[in-house]
Amino acid sequence: MRTKAYVPYLFLTPALGLFAVFMAYPIIYSFLLSFQTSEAGEMVPAGLSNYQRLFSDEIFLTALTNTFVIMVIQVPLMLFFAIVLASSLNAVKRLKGVFRVSFFMPAVTSLVAYSIIFSIMLMGDGIINQLLAAFGIGAIPWLSHPWWAKAALILAMTWRWIGYNMVIYLAAMQNIQESLYEAASIDGASRIKQFFSITIPQLKPVILFTAILSTIGTLQLFDEPYTLTKGGPSDATLTIGMYLYQTGFRYFDFGYASTLAYVIVVIIAVLSFIQFKVTGDE
Amino acid sequence: MLKVSKLLTLLLIVSVVLAACGGNNENEGTNTGAGGAADEKVELTAWAWNVNVGALNSAMELYKKDHPNVELKVEDIGRLDVYDKLSTGLAAGGAGLPDIVLVEDDRIQGYLEAFPKGFVNLSEKGFDNKADSFPAFKKELASKDGQFYAFPFDAGPTGMFYRTDIFEQAGVNPETITTWDEFIAAGKTIKEKTGAQAVPIDKFKDDALFRMMLNQQGVYYFDKEGKIDFNNPQVVKAMETIKAMGDADLVKDVNGWDGTVSATIDGTVATVPFGAWYYGTIIDQAKDASGKWGVFQLPAFEKGGNRASNLGGSSWMIPSESKNADAAYAFAEYFATTDEVQLIAMEQHGLFPSLQTVYESELFQNDVEFFSGQKIWKLFSEEMKDIPTPYYTKDYALALDEAVKAQADTFNGKNPADALKEAAQRLADRTKREINQ
Amino acid sequence: MKVSNVRSLLVYVTLLIGAVISLFPFYWAAIAATNESGKVFAKPPVLLPGGMLFENIANLNEAIGIGRVMFNSLFVVVIYTALSLIICTMAGYAFAKFRFKGRDILFGMFLLSMMVPYHALVIPLFKMMAAWGWLNTYQALILPNLAYPFGIFLMRQNMLAVPDAMMEAGRIDGVNEWGLFTRIILPSVKPALAATAIFLFMFQWNSFLWPLIAVQTKEMYTLPVALSSLFGLSRIDYGQVMAGVTLATGPIIIFFLLLQRHFISGMLGSAVKG
Repeated sequence: MRTKAYVPYLFLTPALGLFAVFMAYPIIYSFLLSFQTSEAGEMVPAGLSNYQRLFSDEIFLTALTNTFVIMVIQVPLMLFFAIVLASSLNAVKRLKGVFRVSFFMPAVTSLVAYSIIFSIMLMGDGIINQLLAAFGIGAIPWLSHPWWAKAALILAMTWRWIGYNMVIYLAAMQNIQESLYEAASIDGASRIKQFFSITIPQLKPVILFTAILSTIGTLQLFDEPYTLTKGGPSDATLTIGMYLYQTGFRYFDFGYASTLAYVIVVIIAVLSFIQFKVTGDE
Repeated sequence: MLKVSKLLTLLLIVSVVLAACGGNNENEGTNTGAGGAADEKVELTAWAWNVNVGALNSAMELYKKDHPNVELKVEDIGRLDVYDKLSTGLAAGGAGLPDIVLVEDDRIQGYLEAFPKGFVNLSEKGFDNKADSFPAFKKELASKDGQFYAFPFDAGPTGMFYRTDIFEQAGVNPETITTWDEFIAAGKTIKEKTGAQAVPIDKFKDDALFRMMLNQQGVYYFDKEGKIDFNNPQVVKAMETIKAMGDADLVKDVNGWDGTVSATIDGTVATVPFGAWYYGTIIDQAKDASGKWGVFQLPAFEKGGNRASNLGGSSWMIPSESKNADAAYAFAEYFATTDEVQLIAMEQHGLFPSLQTVYESELFQNDVEFFSGQKIWKLFSEEMKDIPTPYYTKDYALALDEAVKAQADTFNGKNPADALKEAAQRLADRTKREINQ
Repeated sequence: MKVSNVRSLLVYVTLLIGAVISLFPFYWAAIAATNESGKVFAKPPVLLPGGMLFENIANLNEAIGIGRVMFNSLFVVVIYTALSLIICTMAGYAFAKFRFKGRDILFGMFLLSMMVPYHALVIPLFKMMAAWGWLNTYQALILPNLAYPFGIFLMRQNMLAVPDAMMEAGRIDGVNEWGLFTRIILPSVKPALAATAIFLFMFQWNSFLWPLIAVQTKEMYTLPVALSSLFGLSRIDYGQVMAGVTLATGPIIIFFLLLQRHFISGMLGSAVKG
């Protein structure tokens, strides 16, 4: 018995219809906007000038560099610790559910709470530095030193998303056959060795999946710099996502802001492609 | 057969989508078509934030006594959120905007230049006659090319809010502080005797004190012609003064608004330089410190120099797409120019009026208990007439961005003049404006 | 035996520290909600509940009408999650279990759209809603992201794992296409439905920029928009804000707790095949 050819289209109709109206149209509209510029409040055609501007825009280059630095450090760091956390959690028997919920919670924080709480905690004499002082570590200039500000962003992002990724890994780990570990134990492999030779290779497709999600998230990164550093000091934490927002909503240059948006799209697409190639999946 | 059904499905999708769009277009037509004739009921809408909402509602209660046909619906929106909504609405050709919107003074010129047709010209509706009741700087901020586009409302005459107990403990008399040099000297004494630093500054995100100092000296990011003025010796002087405070360890680095409030409450700083509106924060958050606060004017850069400055303040604007522009104008003018309204705004909502006729009233002569019985409102109101006009221009947001970077560079060790010079160059690249050498 | 005890103790300690770090800000927000406004800044920090909770909630209610705002948020999020779940599941099913012309292109299109930053889409979307007179309506909040690409992706990945043989068996038994979907496919991807539902719920519940732009009157505010309205230039009542924040976190935790068991196995399916 054969399926009628229109069947899949029927199942797709609602999604496609909504997508066409509410996603495709705005996406095309903003793409066209990226070839326009504002003159006395009216949008007029500007050819490729917005795209040419990218090459001489030092702030864009700074934002691009910052975004990449944050991504290159934060994504692997967070994903690695998320796997470590997940395998720890996988190893325990009691209180699993409690821990799982606890780690997942930061991903559901409202931005308002996030910004107030972190801005108070990260103050020069704030609770984090007080805690560090208890361990004999001097006050760290969070948010005020170009490097520490990036570190603060990375920590805040990690806090927020590590549990989210951990839950994904936790799920995938239940798929790894126990017999693999048993065999390794008999061969005398240590837990740490097992982690690197079994857990990580087995999780490869999931790691790819989370890596791509995190790459997308970082390239569009906006919340953290907006609430914590405003992109400072001296643009040290200005991300492309933040620059896009400023350009459009603060400097009223919606044409150029759209251009920035499509630069982000191209970069994400290229990076995702590379990630697929590197991990050798289909 | 297969192809036919495929085609049918596609047609179905298209027609459903079109029907959805078309159907609602018609609805829209009937909804907004009903305009308001002269004595018909008019419902005005306004966007404002926080305490301003209360002020607007109180004013409407008074206004309705003579204009029973007018209703007002104020939407309470976060301060920064108003701008995101306003920018979106203007960029979308004026859709979905209210009849009246509150805009901070430093953003007015930006909106007027980016959206020249976005707002109602108030001079054409006769506002020029009323304008003399406002101080010069406020008038300039509310107008472009000699035409008014905004109703001046509140202002932020600046002062040094200080802790009387800390000053006493250190044996410093605030009255002897008349220049910034004297302030720094006093700050050192206070630091030594009490451990409190002189001022809180959000070193890397905000340059409020720098802006106050610029305004005080009659300069700003741009000069009157719109040229970048970062290399002006007076501008450099302001940054140098801030650096001197930093070098003497008198500056407490605070993180954002929350950090500033925190430092205000916990007594780690002896003074907080801010606009008059900071009064509200102090009495709200530092309830236990009643009677321990005072205010003096910003110190001058040289003996006998100007000590008046302004930080913050906002005005009302009417988007051109407003369907009730006349009614909105009438109410907003009433709001802006009626003493009674401004008194309520001040007394109940802590909004310092720029309408000068109000300063005669009793409220401005009163002792303020929280401030150890000082006549702080008198101090602020007398300051208003001496405030120079800051030139914000449409590129204010960019200039602010660069000025904050220059301040950050200064605190990270760069020479102030060099930091400002580089900032000027970057700003010139971004705005295509000339730099004053 | 001893070694493993020590080891598991270590693991528990690590997990405990992690949990404390994760939860501390929530605890702090809850504490701040029970104290006076200025207390958030107290040094040393106030870490015990005070007696101001009800006053803060009363103030909050006066400022933003918490009942109405909660209703809006819940109403939008529930309708959205339900509809979006159906739409994403159907689309995921089509992508996973059928071969048809344009399949890969269409699926690629959905994935690509995830890469466009949302800030760039706000203005055209707003313009469109304004033209249709849909500003300030529930549909303006619910419709735009119903075809949520990540949701479609999750459902597709999970359905790939459902054996085709099950469907074939159904077809032979004469089950029609809709029946195959509802009676055979859906029951076998329950966990994936839970996982997707949680993502959809989270996304809509915390969504801020679009509701801020699309909503015009206070009666339509969602929680994040209403909370943001508590920020003025100088006046912020921190106790009140934190009471709001705490209330806002509640529903999402409850939703997660209800579905979390399935959530884990639902996420499992997502990674079956890159």
